[in-house]
Amino acid sequence: MSRFFANGSDSESESSEEEVQAQNYNKAANFQFSDDEEEVKRVVRSTKEKRYENLTGIIKTIRNHKKIKDIPNTLSSFEDLTRAYTKALPVISKEENGITPRFYIRCLAELEDFINEVWEDREGRKNLSKNNSKSLGTLRQKVRKYIKDFEDDLARFREAPDQESDVEEGDGEAHDSDADRGGADSDGGVVGAGSGKLPEQPKAAKSAPSKVIADDDDDSDDSIDWDSDTESETESSEDENQYQNMRERFLKRTTEKEDKDDDKRKDKRKEQKHKVRKRAEDDEDGEWETVVKGNVVEKPKMFEKDAEIDIPLVLAKLVEIMSARGKKRTDRRLQIDLLFELRDISEQHALGTPISVKIHFNIISAIFDYNQKISEPMKLEHWALLLEVMQSMLKLLLANPDINMNESVAEEHEEYSTAPYFIRGCPLAAVERLDDEFTKLLKECDPHSNDYVSRLKDEINVVKTIELVVQYFERAGSNNERCRIYLRKIEHLYYKFDPEVLKRKRGEQPAAGSAPSSVEVMDKLCKFIYAKDDTDRIRTRAILAHIYHHAMHDNWFQARDLVLMSHLQDNIDAADPSTRILYNRMMANLGLCAFRQENVKDAHHCLVDLMVTGKPKELLAQGLLPQRQHERSAEQEKIEKQRQMPFHMHINLELLECVYLVSAMLLEIPYIAAHEFDARRRMISKTFYQQLRSSERQSLVGPPESMREHVVAAAKAMRCGNWQACANFIVNKKMNTKVWDLFYESERVREMLVKFIKEESLRTYLFTYSNVYTSISIPSLAQMYDLPLPKVHSIISKMIINEELMASLDDPSETVVMHRSEPSRLQALAMQFVDKVTNLVDVNEKVFDMKQGNFFQRGNMGNRDRGYNRNQNNQGGNWGGQRRRQRGGHHKQQQQQQQQQQTIEEE
Amino acid sequence: MAQFDLTRINCQYLDRHLTFPLLEFLCGKEIYNQQELLEYILDTVNKTNMIDYTMDTRKRLNLSQEMPEELVQRKGEVLATLKQLQNEVAPIMKATDILKNGESMKDSKTFVNALQKDYNFKVEHLESAYKLAKYLYECGNYQESTSYLYFCLIVMSPNDKNYLNVLWGKLAAEILTLNWNTALEDLTRLRDYIDSANFSTIQALQQRTWLIHWSVLVFFNHPKGRDLIIEMFLYKPLYLNAIQTMCPHIMRYLATAVVINRTRRNALKDLIKVIQQESYTYRDPITEFLECLYVNFDFEGARLKLHECQTVIFNDFFIVACLNEFVEDARLMIFETFCRIHQCITISMLADKLNMKPNEAECWIVNLIRNARLNAKIDSKLGHVVMGTQPLSPYQQLVEKIDSLSMRSEHLAGLIERKSKQKNQESIDSWKYY
Repeated sequence: MSRFFANGSDSESESSEEEVQAQNYNKAANFQFSDDEEEVKRVVRSTKEKRYENLTGIIKTIRNHKKIKDIPNTLSSFEDLTRAYTKALPVISKEENGITPRFYIRCLAELEDFINEVWEDREGRKNLSKNNSKSLGTLRQKVRKYIKDFEDDLARFREAPDQESDVEEGDGEAHDSDADRGGADSDGGVVGAGSGKLPEQPKAAKSAPSKVIADDDDDSDDSIDWDSDTESETESSEDENQYQNMRERFLKRTTEKEDKDDDKRKDKRKEQKHKVRKRAEDDEDGEWETVVKGNVVEKPKMFEKDAEIDIPLVLAKLVEIMSARGKKRTDRRLQIDLLFELRDISEQHALGTPISVKIHFNIISAIFDYNQKISEPMKLEHWALLLEVMQSMLKLLLANPDINMNESVAEEHEEYSTAPYFIRGCPLAAVERLDDEFTKLLKECDPHSNDYVSRLKDEINVVKTIELVVQYFERAGSNNERCRIYLRKIEHLYYKFDPEVLKRKRGEQPAAGSAPSSVEVMDKLCKFIYAKDDTDRIRTRAILAHIYHHAMHDNWFQARDLVLMSHLQDNIDAADPSTRILYNRMMANLGLCAFRQENVKDAHHCLVDLMVTGKPKELLAQGLLPQRQHERSAEQEKIEKQRQMPFHMHINLELLECVYLVSAMLLEIPYIAAHEFDARRRMISKTFYQQLRSSERQSLVGPPESMREHVVAAAKAMRCGNWQACANFIVNKKMNTKVWDLFYESERVREMLVKFIKEESLRTYLFTYSNVYTSISIPSLAQMYDLPLPKVHSIISKMIINEELMASLDDPSETVVMHRSEPSRLQALAMQFVDKVTNLVDVNEKVFDMKQGNFFQRGNMGNRDRGYNRNQNNQGGNWGGQRRRQRGGHHKQQQQQQQQQQTIEEE
Repeated sequence: MAQFDLTRINCQYLDRHLTFPLLEFLCGKEIYNQQELLEYILDTVNKTNMIDYTMDTRKRLNLSQEMPEELVQRKGEVLATLKQLQNEVAPIMKATDILKNGESMKDSKTFVNALQKDYNFKVEHLESAYKLAKYLYECGNYQESTSYLYFCLIVMSPNDKNYLNVLWGKLAAEILTLNWNTALEDLTRLRDYIDSANFSTIQALQQRTWLIHWSVLVFFNHPKGRDLIIEMFLYKPLYLNAIQTMCPHIMRYLATAVVINRTRRNALKDLIKVIQQESYTYRDPITEFLECLYVNFDFEGARLKLHECQTVIFNDFFIVACLNEFVEDARLMIFETFCRIHQCITISMLADKLNMKPNEAECWIVNLIRNARLNAKIDSKLGHVVMGTQPLSPYQQLVEKIDSLSMRSEHLAGLIERKSKQKNQESIDSWKYY
């Protein structure tokens, strides 16, 4: 392009060489993003000039602020400047070989001088406003710190603040005033009117502003481009040129910056995104756009013109590029670009898949490197790119079974030319990182926005990628690696509900022939891990996920057995937080499953630990509790935030609480009724009690609104044995939408609930009113509670056998005959006294046992407890182990002891 | 009835020779196709060296009267091998016979010493004796096999690699010779060995599963077995675990054992807990019967299940002998539970629930009352049985509650005393060193 040659500063030979190179690239169907191409295609200015423009703009504001000694604003502008500079850094390093532009250095130098001047002037400093002096300190420190990086440049600048700069200085001032006026004008609404009419316009620049204002089409672009080119050769001190440049720049700022700045920035960003996306697309298609004009000046050259490109050369280049990795001033974006270029070259020269795999791998790590803060998610465009590259690498790996990519391959044993190939690298680590990044991305989005949904669509891709890695490792991986990647797969699988499973279980769908259901897949993966894993953590997590998955699909018994057999409860406290979170999630789901499967007691048992703390939200990592008195430091909060679950994996907390409260109600209300006068009554669920009590305290109870109020109202109805009202409070339209409809088979759950409510209400009724009757007719009870006669019979029988109800059945008349004789006052007191004495002995024994650390001596401890209570204990013991879990039994017993001790203390 | 037949599963855990009685038993019932069963037996027999049995089965299958060439040949081979092995072992056996009468038979150590000293006994001899025993066993000559195995057991050290095999072989042979007393001894010995040897978890589980199956054979035939089976299956956690994880179908035999054991009624509660826990992996009429009766108090259901139980037991080799006992005890259980709940029952209803005729039922109840096992009176005019209930008086409750307290306190005090003594002792001991 003529413009390019017009610069004339480049040596002829070099440019020609570059041209050759460029042609070379053309032939190679490379993709290269030269500015020209961009311009031709969609009329955009180069990044360089945009950045520069931005910089100069800020420099000018700084000057203005300096003049009026507005230090706070200077400070903020300075911060803007540094930021803008870092943004411009890639361009600078690309186009000027990393030499800091002179005008920038000048600005820094001036700033430093200014600060020193103000600082030295003690008198003046004292007079400064508080705000000003404060900012001054900050500014001084910041500038000092910042300047350190530019020390050399500054020194050079101070040695020869050449003539040109003087001119410019004056210039700048002139422009400043210009600019101010321009600004004022534009404020006055003359923006579009053309500042060309401004009378003070220096003649040299007369044409420029009009051009600029005309619009940012080719012309202006051209000139600017030109300008930036010259800028890069500031040293050659072409006064006039410079003059024009600066002027132009400033003018442009006055006119454009003010009204178009925002738009432009947006545009710019869009374009960038577009660029990257386009690149990704290109990648995919494999058809690159031909670079029309060979302009690759800015980029460091890949290879010598006539170098013969072979494997060692490419490798050497790769090493060269990668060696810059992690260094402070490395342009990471450039690195990625270079790697892409290298890949294309290698592909073009048919250097074989191994090389290409290696380069792919390096691209992946370069993309990972791009983001320096671990806690922050990567940029979206990078994410898309990453997925692409990852998948293409894995496909390459899978398509070529003779390539061995492994961590354990030493650098010097890498083999690229002959099969079998050995490459150092770990796709496992890469995919794990990818997965983590994905989670970070998700957490960044607002879960209720469309953003989240669109992000979540990538889940499929992530799963696909993991699947590819699984395939790779199933072919070549060690057991350990397979376990790790299986765990990744499991973690994407375990929380997803597969309705197929339930359909198959009910036999609605034939199991044979179709793809394995998720439970089967899960089984397979987990069993492999159980058998082969040698690190405890992976196995623990696999078990937890496995239980979760079973629980989700209503495989209650399998889930329960897994929990009991794995002895997880014993040592989960020693696990890392994320495993503990998984454990909590598992327990929550197990509780829900137990509830669905009509095991109310177990449901209560599973959930009680979560709910009793009152912060299930935190325990499930579904959100942080509001801060109270700085309980945690910022750092802690950051860590906790990292642990949070992404939204789509959340367990509905209201559902959880409701299930807990309802099961607590079903257990607690009959228990309260049975032990109304019992001195040793314990409560089953503290949380439920609290709810109940707080509602009792209210002087006026309105109709229930929230879920909790519904449950409390239901509990009150149940206390009188009014099952109809109780059922209406629990199962109604409001509660359906709030809670019950969240279950997969909500209808079945509701029916189950009503059934339980009937039964427990009947029990409560019998407990409460048995002392009023001498006999009750069973058929009338059945009618009252809308239960089949055998069921009523069975319930009453059970109560009689368990000695909860002092009664017996009279078969011929189908009645329950009560035997209860009210004890006299003295007798009742005597009984209470005996209870207490028994308690004392119990506690004594337990204290002794605890000191001995021997709980096994008396297995029949619970036997002296009467009735329902005993049943309870046994159940608890059951759950706590007895069968496959010895230590769990201890745990439960210990808890019991503690409870009992508490009750004694209360007494 | 085939759905409740456990032979197929049980045979997986039994020795080949132990399965023959089961299979033959099935031949007598008409559950499966006779022809197929016989073919299956033939198949199994062919893998052993019992040529005569093979022939017999072939005859029953009407294959051919003649002995096939191949079989004749095999018979010859078997006999030859047997001869050879017997020759190898003969000198030692002779020596044993001589020593048997002497003093040295008293314990194994002196016996081995005597053997080594006087008869040039070597480890190889032991090896061949073991081989012979195995061969004899495979030929179906269990009686002789036991004697060689007995010899092996005496001479072998417990850490010999064949020791476990010998134990198993001995048990199998004793079972097959219906020698229940020795079988029980061997069973205990084997169990102790398995519990003490350090197998890997999975191996131990496997060994225990086998042991459980074999022991069922012993327990239901030995008079003491009914207590022992409860003791071992229900109250030894290791075995209970094995049953729960590997073979929940054993619950049937455990349940039967508990039902027919009147003296161990308290085991019922624990059993029911286990049954409920495992109900999703295994259920059959017998466990369901218990569940109906003690979990749901569904007497009608229990009655129906009891009916089914009869057929199941009738067709199960292991427990067929307990059929009458089971029915009687099950009835009693229903009745007992019934009585605990009711204060007045019509006889006709009771008869219905117990699968009896009203007259029979009345007779049965009269007997129960006469034997003082039931506190009740029959009102023959209305056809009612009226229970004599006495509500628990508060004083009695009080006494009941306090009953154990003093004993427990004493026990505790004793423990503490012992403990403090021990401590004193220790502190005195530790002072000695200074």
